[in-house]
Amino acid sequence: MGKWKCGILAGILVFLLNVALALGQGEPGLGEIAVSARPAGEPDEFYDDYDDNDWYEEYHEYLPDPLEPINRAFFVFNDRLYFWVLKPAARGYKTVVPEKARISVRNFFKNLAFPVRFVNCLLQGKVEGAAEELGSFLLNSIGGMGGFFDISGAAGVRKHDEDFDQSLAVYGFGPGFYIHWPVLGPSTLRGTIGKTGDFFLDPLSYYGEYWYAPWSRGLNVVNDTSLRIGDYEALKRAALDPYVALRDAYYQNRLKKIEE
Amino acid sequence: MRERFLVLCVFLLFPAVLPCPASAGGPLDQARETTDKILAILKDPGMKDASKAQEKKALIGKVVDERFDWEELSRRSLGRHWANRTEEERRAFVTLFRELLERTYLDRVEEYSGEQISYVGEKVDGDFATVEAKFLTAQRTEIPLLYRMRLKGDAWMFYDVVIEGVSLVGNYRNQFQSILSRRPYEELVRMLQEKVAEEQ
Repeated sequence: MGKWKCGILAGILVFLLNVALALGQGEPGLGEIAVSARPAGEPDEFYDDYDDNDWYEEYHEYLPDPLEPINRAFFVFNDRLYFWVLKPAARGYKTVVPEKARISVRNFFKNLAFPVRFVNCLLQGKVEGAAEELGSFLLNSIGGMGGFFDISGAAGVRKHDEDFDQSLAVYGFGPGFYIHWPVLGPSTLRGTIGKTGDFFLDPLSYYGEYWYAPWSRGLNVVNDTSLRIGDYEALKRAALDPYVALRDAYYQNRLKKIEE
Repeated sequence: MRERFLVLCVFLLFPAVLPCPASAGGPLDQARETTDKILAILKDPGMKDASKAQEKKALIGKVVDERFDWEELSRRSLGRHWANRTEEERRAFVTLFRELLERTYLDRVEEYSGEQISYVGEKVDGDFATVEAKFLTAQRTEIPLLYRMRLKGDAWMFYDVVIEGVSLVGNYRNQFQSILSRRPYEELVRMLQEKVAEEQ
């Protein structure tokens, strides 16, 4: 990439980070229990009336969604994309490729994403985690035939699924607001910045002529989906409002990961 | 999320064989006791027949009612809107919400295929407790589970399940808040009724 492009990208990232800082509220740092700060626009007396033994409610923060109409439109778009394109592809793929092989492929891509986890562990000061990830990477790459076999996982080595979004959260950046991207799915302002940062750490970004490596990423997505067919349908089935259900599930899951 | 379903399904099955709620031991012990019994039932060859499906679900539903603190769960799911409801409306809501959850999740009973639950620990604070567990799927993925329990008399009752950090109560609360911020309560009830009818 040319120097100009890098510079512009960096500039945009810095700008967005500042916006995130301004808009969002800080996440509790590692090891802290914070009383959740509720933005002025959404008072919720619920928390005062009931018992205060609910550990999770202290974390359960409200995620602003000012772009809701647009997000909902993209949500519908993704919904169609899933049922009309991705699911049939994944189904076809699933009939041809046995489960063990698909799990191996998943292991391969997970192993490949090692730099993302490693760097972000260090960024968060998780030296032990970084060491464990490094060990896992070496073990799985060498002993696991290039990452197809998750030997370290079988041996019980802890996984540290860190990314830049979580690193930013640990530094105190709030999520900003919810963004539901077409194709890419649920995210936040901070999450988007996170994904962009991780993009530079992902080996797939440097592979092949096209900087995006569409075939590899495509395979990864289809493979992953083939292992989770039914998840999205289950969410829709259980929900009164699937859009909100997904937004909440995404954010609660993120909060938990940040906490770890 | 299908895993989440399965987890919730197994979770709802906890009390399946527990005839009386009182039991020695803390929340983890009580939870584990019920889980073990449920897994035994799920593995029971006598109940595996498709014709037994309805019977199995009915039996489970009955026992779930005894162990699950539906009112607490419903109250927390409605959040601040609970305070504005009449006694009548509250009772109706508890029944309706319970029906939705049971219908949605109990249907997946058929899908059990060797999943396991292992327990990690518990934290007790007066009348409240959280129990940590791990759900092991057929594809050897580990899913972290957290049960929130509340002491009622001698029995620890479930009022929330948190799967991979996503709380059942929290998730529905967000949905209900979103709906109730734009529409009247009657509309929410109608939506719930429609949803339950869909599950028939």
